[in-house]
Amino acid sequence: MNRFVRGGAALLLIGSLLAACSPAGSAAPPPSAPTGGAVVTAQGNKFDRTELAIPAGRPFQLLFENREGAPHNVRIYDDGVDQPLFVGEIFGGPGSRTYDVPAIPAGTHRFKCDVHPDMTGTVTAS
Amino acid sequence: MATLNLTARPHTRPTDVVVRVLVVGLTLATAAIHASLGGLLFLVNAVAYATFAVAMVVPGPLARVRWLVRLALLGFTAATIGGWVLFGARFSLAYLDKGIELGLIAAIAFEIWRLDGGPVGIVRQAHRLVARLVGWRVAEGRR
Repeated sequence: MNRFVRGGAALLLIGSLLAACSPAGSAAPPPSAPTGGAVVTAQGNKFDRTELAIPAGRPFQLLFENREGAPHNVRIYDDGVDQPLFVGEIFGGPGSRTYDVPAIPAGTHRFKCDVHPDMTGTVTAS
Repeated sequence: MATLNLTARPHTRPTDVVVRVLVVGLTLATAAIHASLGGLLFLVNAVAYATFAVAMVVPGPLARVRWLVRLALLGFTAATIGGWVLFGARFSLAYLDKGIELGLIAAIAFEIWRLDGGPVGIVRQAHRLVARLVGWRVAEGRR
């Protein structure tokens, strides 16, 4: 009997862990970008886009919406360069932050989530 | 003929129970935090921690090699902290989790010191286990 109780408890624990990791949130359309800025959404441990267009050479606002409980952020950087171009605050959702991004030089850069480095994309500043 | 006893202490004391509850509680806490982070790597980490938590309390044959479970959990926790120091993101939940993991390491170290006789006791038990395994293989080979 005890064996069944222990087995059930173990299954319950593993089930709870799996449930905690399942994607949450709705499949609503992405919010509108701030005027002259950009928008990106995170859901299911993925960004809603792999390419992000931003203005070059001037500060702008980046609206980041995190639609799930897992913490995410947006970092803009160049491969092989230590100093990132911008690092947004990491926060758990659902929620959103409007990042004030400093001027980014024209060209192609990368963006990713610091918590989940497999969440990546390309930034085109023009 | 002397029998091999791999458990260092046959009787449970209240302090041992408290420390064991602490170890299991901290292990489950860090498992839950890792599970909440999402992503395959964190999920694997959470399942590993949950498995360790079960292995720390389940009776039967595993109880005889609990010192090995303790050692593995200690190594896994240290590796998790090391991985975060090298590659992990810095945010409040991560700092909280590292605090929990440092507490877990302290609790496991206390258990090792109390139940296994410290590093020397661990080496002795490892030596006994290897000797037992080698002896078993030799006996198998003679059949």
